[in-house]
Amino acid sequence: MAAVYAQAVQTLIDELGRLPGIGPKSAQRITFHLLKLPTEDAERLANAIITAKARVRFCEQCFNVSEDELCSICADPRRDQTVLCVVEEARDIIAVERTGEFRGRYHVLMGAISPIDGVGPEQLKIRELLRRLGSDTVQEIILCTNPNVEGEATAMYLARLIKPLGLTVSRIASGLPVGGDLEYADELTLGRALEGRRIVD
Amino acid sequence: MSLYRDSGVVLRTYKLGESDRIVVILTLGHGKIRAVAKGVRKTKSRFGGRLEPLSNVSLLVYEGRELDTISQVETIDSLGPLYGDLDRLTQGLSLLEVVDRITPDREPVPHLHRMLVGALRSLESRPLPLVVPAFFWKLLAAEGVRPELDVCVRCGEADNLIAFDMNEGGVLCRTCRTGTPISAEALRLTRMILGGGMNAALDEPVTPATAEVRHLATEAMEHHLERRLRSVALYERL
Ligand SMILES: [Zn+2]
Ligand SMILES: [Zn+2]
Repeated sequence: MAAVYAQAVQTLIDELGRLPGIGPKSAQRITFHLLKLPTEDAERLANAIITAKARVRFCEQCFNVSEDELCSICADPRRDQTVLCVVEEARDIIAVERTGEFRGRYHVLMGAISPIDGVGPEQLKIRELLRRLGSDTVQEIILCTNPNVEGEATAMYLARLIKPLGLTVSRIASGLPVGGDLEYADELTLGRALEGRRIVD
Repeated sequence: MSLYRDSGVVLRTYKLGESDRIVVILTLGHGKIRAVAKGVRKTKSRFGGRLEPLSNVSLLVYEGRELDTISQVETIDSLGPLYGDLDRLTQGLSLLEVVDRITPDREPVPHLHRMLVGALRSLESRPLPLVVPAFFWKLLAAEGVRPELDVCVRCGEADNLIAFDMNEGGVLCRTCRTGTPISAEALRLTRMILGGGMNAALDEPVTPATAEVRHLATEAMEHHLERRLRSVALYERL
């Protein structure tokens, strides 16, 4: 096929198209948006990527994004060291932090078990998690993976691994979103919500 | 844009954009389709958990040039019984992994759809250890790679069949043996599965031959697909 765009334009479209969640159409749209930007705006974006890539790495303990060996949460002595919240991705930490309900530390798995995508337990930071549990400071694990098939498989797999170690293992409840209508709930969600019901006092 | 109705099993999903997913579904009438579910990753999505892998759903779909778009979904079989049980869930996932590899896009394969729905219902109601291996063997037979189980594939000998070799296409006698050893009991179970006695085979008591049949079926399927099955490795290890 003859080249539709100049080489530099096509390269940019291809690179953007490799990002998660960006299809060929979006890649094209973003490319033409970038080309219309003033040079200094485009340079600021390019520099932000380069700087972040150079400075940011993964926390050696929990695999959160960090500018140092330990992330700000692992380095904070006021955080409860006895409770560990296990999440799939570093961005999930931000979601949990926003609740203000959790004062412990985290462990990022960097994914979830998904055999069809070639992701098994070996591809996740599970060995590193078990190593952290080897020290006696951690007493409780909260499995905070996504409420979907991959997240659930990961949580159940981890529970089976961790329970024999004598730690308290809990899974975040799945249920109905606050503000939603019961009649629109799907069978799976409503079924899980019933299963996870609690005594009202 | 034309609209169609169909029913199907969700095989896998991919994230798309901020809150959408591309859902790959093995439908009864349209074969394997790829359709966009808009907003499905938002907690208040009207699709909710109906489009998770393993769900058997009825659908209303807008046909698009590249991707279809899901308009409505209703649950036929909720994946509830599989969702909360690691062993059933991973076995269910191994059915999906294999079906996704084998089925071409947009080509109706109603027999495959029927087999998948049947096997998933078995896992939900009676998760017996031979459900997955029986499915693998039946699927291979449907793909035209039915193994020879009655006589030695090399010399035609009908007795002393003690080995199984997928490269050779079936069982081998003591003199010609290559591949994996097979016990008389495992051979009997495999013959039952492929000879129209699947339900009876599923009900057989669990013996060491059960594990053998599971192994052989996985080996045969991996040989056919020319790749390792991740999901099998997962539940075999548990
Ligand atoms: Zn950290
Ligand atoms: Zn022979």
